[in-house]
Amino acid sequence: MDAISKPALAFESPLTRRSIIAAYFLVIFLALPLWWKTTSIERQGLPASRVSAQIGRDLVFPVRIALNTGPHELGMDRIVLDVQRQIEKNGDFEQNGLQLHVSNAATANDYQVTLRLGTWDPVIKGREVVLEILPEHVGIAAMQVADILVTLLMPYTSLWSSQAERIVSYSPRYRLAFTLLNEDATGDNAALSWDVRGALSAQLSPLLARLSVLHNFTIESQVQYHGPLAFEPHALQVAEKTEYGLTPEDLTVFVNSAQWTLSSSVSNDPVLHFIAFIPSSRHSPLRILDSDGSPTPSSAFILPQWGGIVIYNPESTGVAHTLAGRPLDAIFATFRQQLSALLGVPELPPHVQVRSNELAGVTDWQLDALVRRRAAENTASAQETLQSIVRLVAQIEDMPVGEDVKGDVENALAALDQTYSTASSSQFQVLAFASKAQSIASRAFFNPGMLALLYFPAEHKWAVYAPLFASVAAPLLASVIREAIVWRREKKAKAAVAPAADDRGHKAG
Amino acid sequence: MRYSFKSFVCTLCLGVTVAALSEEFHEELFLRPLRDGKVSARFSFSTLLNGAVPRDPETLGAEDESQLYTLFPLALGQILREYAVTELHLTLNAGKWNYDRWGYPDEPGVGTGAELWAWMGEGGIASVDNRWLGLRNALAGLFCASLGSLDEQRTTSPVLTFQPEGSLPNSTVNYRLRHATLPSEHVCTENLTPFLKLLPCKSLSGIASLLNPHKLFDADWHGLGMHVRYLEGAGVEVRLATQAVLDPVRTSSDKRRDWSLSAIFDRRIEKACPVARSSVIRVRLPQNETYAIVPSPSTMDSIYATYLVREMEKPLDVAILWPEETKFVYPTAIEPQTHISVHRTLNGASQHAGHLALTVTNNHDTELQAGYLETMPWLLQFYLHTLHAEIDGVLRDDLVKLISYTPALPHVQPALLQAVLTLPPRSTMRLTMDVVKPFLAYTEHPPDAQRGWDLPPAVFVPFASQNASQIGSDPQQGAVLSDVRSTRMYTPVLLVDLATPDFSMPYNVIIMSCTLIALIFGMVFNTLTRKFVVVRVDEKKSS
Repeated sequence: MDAISKPALAFESPLTRRSIIAAYFLVIFLALPLWWKTTSIERQGLPASRVSAQIGRDLVFPVRIALNTGPHELGMDRIVLDVQRQIEKNGDFEQNGLQLHVSNAATANDYQVTLRLGTWDPVIKGREVVLEILPEHVGIAAMQVADILVTLLMPYTSLWSSQAERIVSYSPRYRLAFTLLNEDATGDNAALSWDVRGALSAQLSPLLARLSVLHNFTIESQVQYHGPLAFEPHALQVAEKTEYGLTPEDLTVFVNSAQWTLSSSVSNDPVLHFIAFIPSSRHSPLRILDSDGSPTPSSAFILPQWGGIVIYNPESTGVAHTLAGRPLDAIFATFRQQLSALLGVPELPPHVQVRSNELAGVTDWQLDALVRRRAAENTASAQETLQSIVRLVAQIEDMPVGEDVKGDVENALAALDQTYSTASSSQFQVLAFASKAQSIASRAFFNPGMLALLYFPAEHKWAVYAPLFASVAAPLLASVIREAIVWRREKKAKAAVAPAADDRGHKAG
Repeated sequence: MRYSFKSFVCTLCLGVTVAALSEEFHEELFLRPLRDGKVSARFSFSTLLNGAVPRDPETLGAEDESQLYTLFPLALGQILREYAVTELHLTLNAGKWNYDRWGYPDEPGVGTGAELWAWMGEGGIASVDNRWLGLRNALAGLFCASLGSLDEQRTTSPVLTFQPEGSLPNSTVNYRLRHATLPSEHVCTENLTPFLKLLPCKSLSGIASLLNPHKLFDADWHGLGMHVRYLEGAGVEVRLATQAVLDPVRTSSDKRRDWSLSAIFDRRIEKACPVARSSVIRVRLPQNETYAIVPSPSTMDSIYATYLVREMEKPLDVAILWPEETKFVYPTAIEPQTHISVHRTLNGASQHAGHLALTVTNNHDTELQAGYLETMPWLLQFYLHTLHAEIDGVLRDDLVKLISYTPALPHVQPALLQAVLTLPPRSTMRLTMDVVKPFLAYTEHPPDAQRGWDLPPAVFVPFASQNASQIGSDPQQGAVLSDVRSTRMYTPVLLVDLATPDFSMPYNVIIMSCTLIALIFGMVFNTLTRKFVVVRVDEKKSS
């Protein structure tokens, strides 16, 4: 009955059979590393602890204020102490990452506050503000100094949310697209061309040069001759004349993106559009209405984060061939204001006067505040992006993380560290590092390599493997088990039969 | 940042001193009645940027000058400068141009589907091929056409046939041609809308207001074209063109061939475009027939009537009537209108091999030569040694000269075949060649329903025979020679049917093949490890 008891065939031996089976397993064993290498996902370890250490880390700008009371009798030592105390009482400075030191010795890059007796409004000259104090207010001079420092150093705390929301997010380069848009150039009032070069160099170049520490600008312009509105403006009777009005709701849908060719397709830089809109004679004059439906004196409006629009009603009817001179200067002056509002240049308090006009209307105080704001914004956004990457990678186990992503994350962290370490020396360098950190972090976040296996989950892999490997593995395993059983039985039989082995051998012989 | 900005300020200053570039816009409509009762309409809108020079590729990394345009389309200007394109031609056509009946087209680029070719200078940080890739994708976005698929597998450089139409800026830079065709692209309204947006007056005034998509895309043949070239001493010119062959007989109730703008376009010119420096409608007048043309043109000679749109009374509706004709009778036979006629066919029913055949007829009494160009994707591979020419059944391989051939590389690049054919007078040459159809990887099949693969048109450029110019003295021959324009002629496209797998059941295929492999493995494994034993049948028991 037993297979063992039967004599084996000459060409067969258990050794050969077992080595054949072993060879199969050897091949599988040798192929395992290859299989592992070709199917595993590259996941570099991200410096998660360093990223989480960034939480709660804030930029702190040390700001030195030199108080200068001149030869006057305001009492220098006392007022310095008073101002310092007032500032410490006001928690806003600390919250906004400003560390103020007030002293009476001026160095080169400090902000200077000059106190004087007098009745004039505060005057700004470079990084200096001249504050005149009424003789009867000498007692609260320290409070006045602290107040003016709040409005000049932290102009953003007083912004309404709608003003803050219209500021475009930071980009090292913007495209500024200026469009002269005629609603219908075949009608009576239209401008067929404009002196855009002259207006740009007169009105905008100084501002752009001033802001060049923050952004680069690419400028382009076009003229459109047919830009119909997507809606019909309301007709109004004003002083026996028909005028046309745009309600606040109309303004939100004013841009007819289907028919106005405004989009640009060649680059990823954000575009800010500035449109000078000339209504057709059918809709002329076109006014902006307030919420009550009565015309406002304003003829321009900002679309948050998109651009600005100026509605120009030509004074004389008839086709003006070229728009130039004073009307165009007025339009571009509005564009300049809209651009500085969109880029987040803070406004000065209305009572503060500016001494010199050569700074394109942006004082050093404003520019510094903007640079600090952009630096803080970029730092926060870089931190947030890095944390999102780490969270995402931890959440999705199949997500590949390549060497380049890891390198980007590390570089972004290094740039962030540099941001913090230079905060005490130079604001412009802080901005440079912060924007570098931000751009590298978002490059890491949008790395296309991280998407690769998102659509090829592990389940799919097993579904493909199972039909082949399951059916191949079954006979392999079965043979191993069978051989093991046979081998054990053989061993047992050998042990039992060993004493009688000699007799049997003789019999067989 | 500061330095690049300074350079911007400088360019701005420079711009001011140079003074604003003047820009000119010209529009023209050319109407031509055809022998078979149809009307060919060609719209041409050209904008000239005076004094402009194409961007030097060496400056690609640096800050570019500001683009301040009045009439020139900004969206296109951005693309041209971003990729430093010197000359650019894009055509999108639908239908088959019938050279025999309609003669040479007014716009030479009539190949079915999309055709894009550009001349670009070498140098700078970006290679020509990188810029060609960017250009394709940018134009695809601008025109809503699938130009992005004009990849390396369709790109060739046939410099003999596609010479620059303008001038190349005179410098030490080498210029390279990139040419690609996509015959399966079908032009439609979604391409016309962005096309019209590039015009200063859109389709709201001037001649462009006649471009009614309903009528235009109903035409027997229609196409859009965009041509950018640099004219030495003038500037950069962009010309947008639309061409259509309309059939007034089909739409008229009493089968007459009288036509008017309102009949063929369903629109009239209501307003002139205020910024067009010239706005002209030219009509080619019928010869040796009685006709009436209304309204009376601005100027007229025996061949052309010309309307200056701005001076005409609006609305303007040009019409030609044949008052003596009650019903249009289609001519039974029309003499071929071109010097040569070409037909190309792909024969063979199998999915592996085939046979490409061309018949080229010289319709003239003099010997002609023709440049022959095939830019064939590797979907069809030539056996060049089987290329034979015969006339009336007689083998005449000596008439095919100057063959240059770049073989196709499967999955990489198309084949480029150029040759010069000599065509004896009034004879028909038959060119044949064996071809083979390859297998595609499964990812190379398009996801759409499969109708086969369109193959790009072959291009012929007829020109006067060199032998004939040596003889030269015969006056009649001289007339023919001057008449031979070196214009490109496109053959119709071909359709090739390649072996297509069944894509519907990939998982079933996996299961099926895995089962087979497992079965074979099991059998082999069993045979190798089976233990054979000899069973001795006990003879005593059995007996």
